[in-house]
Amino acid sequence: MRIASVLAVALTALGMAACGGGQTGSGGGSGGNGPIKLGAWFPLTGPVAASGIPQKEGASALFDQLNAKGGVNGRKVDYIARDNAFDPQQTIQAARQLVGEDKVVAVVAANGTAPSAAAFPFVMNQAKVPIVNTYGGAADWYKPAKPLLFGDQTLYEEQGAAAGAWAAQDGHKNILVVRSDPAAFAGVAKYVEPGAKAANPGAHVNQLVVKFGTTDYSPIVGQVKAKKPDAVVLILAFPEASAFLKQAKLQGVDVPAYGYGPTADEGLIKLAGSASEGFHALSLTKPAMDPSPAMQEYRQALKRFAPGQQPSSNSAIAYASAKAFAAVLKKVQGAVNADSIAKAFESAGTVKTGILPPLTWDKGHHLGTNQLQRVAVKGGKFVAVGDFTTPPPVVGQ
Amino acid sequence: MDQLLLSIISGVSNGAVYGLVGLGLVIIYRSTDVMNFAAGTMALGCMYLASGLHGAGVPLALAVVAGITVCSLLGVGAREVLIRPLGPGALFSALVVTMGLSLILEEATRGIWGGEPRDFPALVGGNATIGGATFTNQQLLVIPVAAVAMLAVAYLFKKTPLGSAMRAVAESSGTATLLGIRPQRVARVAWALGMGLAALGAAMLVPTAGLSIGGFTGVLFRAFAGIFLGGLTSMYGAVIGGVVVGVLDNVAANYVSASLRDTFVFSLVILVLLARPQGLFGEKTFARV
Repeated sequence: MRIASVLAVALTALGMAACGGGQTGSGGGSGGNGPIKLGAWFPLTGPVAASGIPQKEGASALFDQLNAKGGVNGRKVDYIARDNAFDPQQTIQAARQLVGEDKVVAVVAANGTAPSAAAFPFVMNQAKVPIVNTYGGAADWYKPAKPLLFGDQTLYEEQGAAAGAWAAQDGHKNILVVRSDPAAFAGVAKYVEPGAKAANPGAHVNQLVVKFGTTDYSPIVGQVKAKKPDAVVLILAFPEASAFLKQAKLQGVDVPAYGYGPTADEGLIKLAGSASEGFHALSLTKPAMDPSPAMQEYRQALKRFAPGQQPSSNSAIAYASAKAFAAVLKKVQGAVNADSIAKAFESAGTVKTGILPPLTWDKGHHLGTNQLQRVAVKGGKFVAVGDFTTPPPVVGQ
Repeated sequence: MDQLLLSIISGVSNGAVYGLVGLGLVIIYRSTDVMNFAAGTMALGCMYLASGLHGAGVPLALAVVAGITVCSLLGVGAREVLIRPLGPGALFSALVVTMGLSLILEEATRGIWGGEPRDFPALVGGNATIGGATFTNQQLLVIPVAAVAMLAVAYLFKKTPLGSAMRAVAESSGTATLLGIRPQRVARVAWALGMGLAALGAAMLVPTAGLSIGGFTGVLFRAFAGIFLGGLTSMYGAVIGGVVVGVLDNVAANYVSASLRDTFVFSLVILVLLARPQGLFGEKTFARV
């Protein structure tokens, strides 16, 4: 009898959990006046927490700021962040909680390419909940366009092409790519050459592959010295790019260095110190300390709603992604659900956050931009170099 | 030539760090039969503490000494609370316990100091040029520090009653007890000394590599390679093995492949162990079957 009761309770719980997914497309947001429930997964613990925590704080600060001004179309936003530890399995678990328990109507500004992709089948296909403006992304996310997936970040491959193009436009013909060995870095690095050649057909690019996690860059810098390039493009995580820059300065290797998005991180300046001066990088956003009004507004929001956070590229990107989503959400009249959100994105026109490049989505294009901001380290901080720029059209060619 | 010199000296400097950590691991292993997989996390956590103290106004040298001292005490605490209750001969249980401790301490460090990588000031400033290659004085400082540490440990083990007791316990804990030696006391000293050396290694490395959670994993990995290469039972072997690994690693990165440096080094370690299972300086042991 007792076993039967336990079994019945367990089956009921399982049934409820399974049903949870099916009802959520119109979850916390439908026609009423209650709060609009949004959610996201971030690595709040584990090795990637250093980027996940400021991203969570940045997105939360935007929604807190909106709520303080009355919300979106008069409705408050309830933004729920769950920890995924940058683990695909834990992301699926977090997604089930967000959809089944929290009843979110969209996943906004979540973190991570691989973890997010693991949650796609459940969130988008089964529960019919849109996933928008994720930090990361891959070309196959958007080609062909998926009905409930929208993005606001230029792909890593385009960042590689843009770095090559910038180096070539600066007059450098003999370019050396220093990259980590995993495939994710190789996929970015392979677009440096076409990017450089698009800007200057006479440019030629070689690659130097480095073991991921290398801390002593003296042998690598020695090889760079021997190859005598005009410029180097660093497709490395920012701690390794810092180690490279420090060692290059120590060995007197005075070669202009360019990096892709992940190197446009304030941590690089902190670790490399004066060796980072003059370093060029492609950033997804305006620099965190940019004097523009939009960036001032971001810093004020951070100060008020996330006082423990220093302005950073990580919080800025999440704040901007949330801001772009809120601008689209504002266009939804009536019930807030998967259909109305998707339609609003496809008819949004151009959304300007002042932080990200202008974003334009339509039926066939669910990735809102392929532009980037050139930045360089001057006086110990990243400063914008010109306005947003479009990489040469070499990715997918 | 500059390039070779750069690779070798830089490799010796890295290897000296591996040697210090390896020496600490061997001391603990020989005295208590425990391979401490939490050594890297404990040492790094204590350098975060040193960084925090320095940030709060404590002079750098004092902050580093405090970090090393806390690491020694942490070692004794871990041994008394987590390892000792397992009883003697629980090699695999102890292994799992230290792995678990490492994960817990890593998350605790992240919780206290945040996950952002941070810089750590150099203990000595300035650069030195040797044969056309430039090194930070911090990089060069590691070499004499490791040498002095190795000699001091050798003196302790060979010329002092405590060292004799430690060697006796390493040979046979039971026989040592019959001789009036207290193995538990020796174990506490071994953990304190071993973890102090690991923290000293961390203190030498972080001004160059910076502080990052998990940033000592590679060092621990290479320290293990060094002690197996040098011989698990040999103090000298731990340091010399570490230095060999450091130099090979850099030379391989320079002349073989920067992406296959580990593959090269560990292939060589495997070959040496196949030819000489006890390592370069280890003693052959026989077990009655």
